[in-house]
Order: sequence, then structure tokens, then C-alpha cells
Amino acid sequence: MRYFVGIDIGSTAIKISVADENKNLVGHKISASGSMFYKYAQEALAELLKELGIDESEVVYTVATGYGRKLFKEADENISEITANAIGAQQAAKSYGNIKTIINIGGQDSKAISLDAEGNVVNFAMNDRCAAGTGKFLDVVAMNLEIGVDELSDYHFKSKGTPLSISSTCAVFAESEIIGLLGNNHSVEDIVSGVHYSIAKRIVKLVKRVGVKENVYFDGGPALNDGLVSAIENELGHKIFVPEYPQITTSYGAAVLACDAFLSESAS
Amino acid sequence: MHTEHTIETSAERQNRHKAMEAISVINALREDFKSPIHSMGYFYDLFEKVYCHHQPLHEGKAKIGTMCIQIPSEIIYALDGVPIRLCNGFYTDDEIGGDLLPQKSCPLVKATVGWFASDNFSDKPDITFSPTTCDQKTKAGAIIESFGHTVIDVGFPRTKESEESRHYWRESVKSFAVKLSKFQGKKLTRSNLESAIKKVGYAQSLYHKLTEFRKNKAVPILGVDMFLVTNAFFFDKIDEWISAVEKLVVELEQRASEGVNVAGKASPRIVYTGSPPIFPNYKIPLIIEQSDAIIVADETCSSNRMFNDMVAVDEWNLYDMIDSVSDKYLKACTCPIFTQNDDRIRRIIQLVRSYNGDGVIYQAFAGCQVYEMEQRSVLAAMEKEGIPILYIESDYSPSQHGQLTTRVEAFIESLKNRKRMKK
Ligand code: SF4
Ligand code: SF4
Repeated sequence: MRYFVGIDIGSTAIKISVADENKNLVGHKISASGSMFYKYAQEALAELLKELGIDESEVVYTVATGYGRKLFKEADENISEITANAIGAQQAAKSYGNIKTIINIGGQDSKAISLDAEGNVVNFAMNDRCAAGTGKFLDVVAMNLEIGVDELSDYHFKSKGTPLSISSTCAVFAESEIIGLLGNNHSVEDIVSGVHYSIAKRIVKLVKRVGVKENVYFDGGPALNDGLVSAIENELGHKIFVPEYPQITTSYGAAVLACDAFLSESAS
Repeated sequence: MHTEHTIETSAERQNRHKAMEAISVINALREDFKSPIHSMGYFYDLFEKVYCHHQPLHEGKAKIGTMCIQIPSEIIYALDGVPIRLCNGFYTDDEIGGDLLPQKSCPLVKATVGWFASDNFSDKPDITFSPTTCDQKTKAGAIIESFGHTVIDVGFPRTKESEESRHYWRESVKSFAVKLSKFQGKKLTRSNLESAIKKVGYAQSLYHKLTEFRKNKAVPILGVDMFLVTNAFFFDKIDEWISAVEKLVVELEQRASEGVNVAGKASPRIVYTGSPPIFPNYKIPLIIEQSDAIIVADETCSSNRMFNDMVAVDEWNLYDMIDSVSDKYLKACTCPIFTQNDDRIRRIIQLVRSYNGDGVIYQAFAGCQVYEMEQRSVLAAMEKEGIPILYIESDYSPSQHGQLTTRVEAFIESLKNRKRMKK
């Protein structure tokens, strides 16, 4: 068998996806980037292949993406995460329909991508000025509220009162705002839903810059948070599609591209 | 795992946005300041009820929308209506209105238009009377009309010195009274107008009592709380407003006798003027009072200007009363839409003197021409009087909070320094 690897080296995590010749996802792995991400990336890849029972020689093409992509020298090719994200999203949502808009919330930034009918990236907008409204931001919130990140969603749906918006656009100030709210005995539920809606409002503003076209796809680790998903849906006013493994769309896109690149190369 | 959610309708979304705006201001008032006033609880709850939970207050009553303060509420009450003042302070509505009006328009006007465009009222007016004051308000009336709502212009003169304009306005008020009386199927009589004048006058007298306490060295009530109380008069049931303010007066008496001070010892005393703070756009007032200053008086149409002057009747005959009511809304008004407006300057100086103000903060909504233009003459007059003044231009968006805070803080610190130097 021939396999294709996409490796996405991000600021907080390394995501690896392996696809087969039909571009189906056969396995994936997420591990922390840490300080030596080149070394960690190699180790993670070796482990994943071992888990999947794939011999290294069966990997015929590797594409790297993400902000540390240039450091992964073994790659046959590297591409920007915008392109990889777009390719991965369309493949992952194949059964759902044609994706026109992608929302991606990463560990340290968030972006909105707009695609044309052929699936090419026509426009994108990024908010990378600070951690507000990113995965990091949610980590900080959860830590301040002394709950797990994976519990945020439950709290969101339990909120009965008015969501308490967080007005600070800076994660550092937001932290003190949240502590202030807690100090005044506001419920964790209302704070959590307020945080989600604050992020959702901001991301929807970003999406509106590139234009909202259906279908909308949402990925990145925070997409696992169903409360946030619902908040974004409410702010957008329509449904969004979240893939099964929202954290790995970009690496999956890289793997899909690896497959295409290899097949077109061997055809010529 | 991702589950199916029901998605809010756009009306639900707007209401949630408004609720989120409202609750953050209510919470700030409830929680961020020292020595909270027990009887303010009525007002916090009222705003929460209306703007977070969308509870109507006036079911079964005719709701008479008014734009600006010049439409006499005495006549509306006499004819058994409830005045609903449509000056709006929500950023949510401002954004909606922004799509229908020029981007550079006044946020207050955009928010009022946005309110009608989204139709998200807890008490929707049945008819609206719009005095032809500033251009933007006047044009907004026509836009609101195009949404299928009835808006009736009430001719308002742009000068108040001449006998002609006084005559013109008195006729306008009469014709307003006739139209409203037809709409309500009820006659304006000597007795119903007299009791309405007395009731509104009593409400005003309560407001005056509240302001007296603010002259004290130890100020027992925040300026933002005062704005909330006066803003509640825009839509509350008048009898309940009156009894809530009566309780407030009693509590302030108690606090004044105990020397309770909501400000710090060195807090500069600010007289606030300019475009009106309207709930929940308390951006500048909140920054001021969170920056260790205290608003002791204001000259705005959402508070002092609305309550300052009372109807002065000498003969309790119907037509005399109507003329007296008219005069109060024209002669006493210090709105900058008037061509000559020395009254406003005089009023500000008088407030600084009688409330022992250390400085004036003047806010103009970006896009409000009259306040922006009149800024120069007010600044010059204050300079002549040796009164420090800060001029700020702002809108409803929450975004410039940091920059505005820095400017206000710097001004307040300079006032503190001046005070120390004087000693
Ligand atoms: S400033 Fe004058 S014209 Fe403008 S809202 Fe107030 S009363 Fe109306
Ligand atoms: S703030 Fe200015 S433009 Fe806006 S309504 Fe008042 S007078 Fe008109």
C-alpha cells in the first residue's frame, strides 16, 4: 500500500494525518510541539506509523504545513496552512456538501477563509494580534474558573441567565474581568456562555469581512466545544458543520495534497 | 460530539445582544462602587426586567412615542397615554440603524431607527410624535414612518427668543393635543391636564430633592445612578417611578445625615454636559466615576435638562395651562439646536458654581453636529470663567474604551493637582 502524510507543525501542537490512495483518513496523531518541535515531529510520526502498522517505506509523499513547516526537512513539499486548511475541509465535509466558508480557531490565532465554487481560496482574514478568542483564551478562562476545558460546553448549555460578556479584547485583561465576575458571585454558567458569545461575536465579525457563504465549516481544537459551536451558529444565524476530528483538518489537507501531488507526478 | 442545536432567530439574537449590553452596565452599577444604595435596587431590577427579560410594563395602555424632550408628557398623561421616549442608547440597535442611515450619523438617531427596523420593543409605541429639533431626528422620523409606523411631526422653532416662535410653538402644541386627543378618543380637559401637570411637577420636585444632596461635600449618590433614575422616566410607570424616587429621597436623607460619600476624599467634582447618556451607553459617565471622580450635576436632555424647569401656571384654565406647558418646553430648553444658545452656557456655569464643580466634561456623539459645533463656544466661555473642561467625541461602540479612559484619567488627575495646589 502507498500512504500519504500531512504534518502540521503549529505553535502549540503537532498534528499528523495519514491518508490512503483514496484520500481517506487512516489515522492521526496530536502531540505537543514543545521546545524542540523538529525532534518531536519526527518521533510523533514514527509512533503514529507504528501504531497504524505502516512501514516507513510505504509513505511515498509527505507535505508539511503550519508555522514550523520549514523546519521539517524530510517533507517533499510544504504549503501554507490556509491552503491546507481549505483542502482538508473540503475533503472532510465531502459527505455534507460544498464548503464555501471556513472558520478556524487555533491555539493562538483565528481565521476565516472564503472559497469559490471550485474550492479555491479567494479571500481570508486573520486575527493574530492577540490571544483573545483563541484556544489559548479558552484555556485561560477554564483555568480561572477552575474547570476543565472539556467542561466548558456543559456549563454553556446550563446557563439560565443572561450571558455575561467579556469586553476586554486582551486575554490578560479578560482574566481580571472574569475574576471580577466570579468575585461578585456570578454563576460559572453565565460567565462561560458570555465568554463563548464574546468569542463568537468576534469571529463572526472576522467571517463577515470575507463574506458569509454557506456551507460554513468550523475547525480547530475549540470546535470540539459544542457550546462555542452553538454560540457561533447563533451569531451567524445559521448552521455550521464541524468535522469528526476538527483539530486535524489542516494536516489532513496536507496529506490529501500529498496524495494529489504524488499521483499527478507519477502520471506525468 | 456535535449535536443539533436550534438556532436563534435574528430577533432573539438582537434581544440577547441587548440583554448582554444591559446586564453588563447593571452589574457595573450594582457591583463596582462602594456604598451601594439600597433603594437603587428598584431601578436595577426595572432595567433588567425590560431589557434583559423583555417584560412589557404598559399592556393595555396607549403608548405614545416621543422623540426628544419637547413633546409635553403632561398632555400625554392627561389624555391617558404613556409617553415612551425613543432616544436609544443600545449599540446593537445603533449597528442595525447604521445600515439604514449614513455612517456618520449620530448614534442616538441610528439606534432609534435601528430599534424600529428590528421591531424589538417590549412596549412598542402605537404612534410617535416627533418635534422638528435636530435635522437627524427630523429625518429619522420620516424613515421610521417608511417602516409602516405612524410618526407625526410637531413643528419646533429653531429660535426661542422671538414672540413669533413662541406663538408658533404654542400653536404646534395645541395641534399636537388635538391630534392626540383624536387618537385617544378622549378630551383634554381642565381637570385632567391640571392633575397631569401636578403629577409631572411632583416627579420633578422629587428629582430636585435628589440633586440637592449632590451639593453636599460628601456626595451620597453616583452620577451614573442618577442617569439611571432619570432614564427610567423615559418608559416607567410614573406612579411607580414616583414611589421609588420617594424611597430614594428618604434613603439619601439618611445617608446625608451620616455623611456617606460614594466618592473618595480627593475625588474631583464633575459637571457633565453634551450628548445625552442613555442606558446602556453610560460609557463616559462610568469611566469618569471609575476613575475616582464624581459627577455632581449634568446639563443633558436625558437628565437635568429634562427635569430642571417646571411648568409655571398662573391661571388654571385649559388654554392658559397649554400655553404654560408650551413655554416650559421651549423657553426653558437649553438644547444646542437653537441658533442662539447662551442659556446653555449660563446653565453650565451656574451648575459648576452651585454644585461646587471642579471641572466640566463635555461629550459629543460623533456625528452630532450641533454638539460638535457648540463645543467651541462652550470651551471659550469656560476658559473665560477659569473652569477646566475636557471635550470628548465618542460613539456607542465599545472599542475605544482604553483610549477614552486614558484621556479622562489624565483630566481627572489634572483636576486633583489643581485642587491640591489651591490648598
Ligand atoms: S439634544 Fe435636543 S434634539 Fe437632541 S435628543 Fe436631546 S433634546 Fe433632542
Ligand atoms: S445627539 Fe445631536 S444629532 Fe443626536 S439626536 Fe441629539 S442633537 Fe440630534
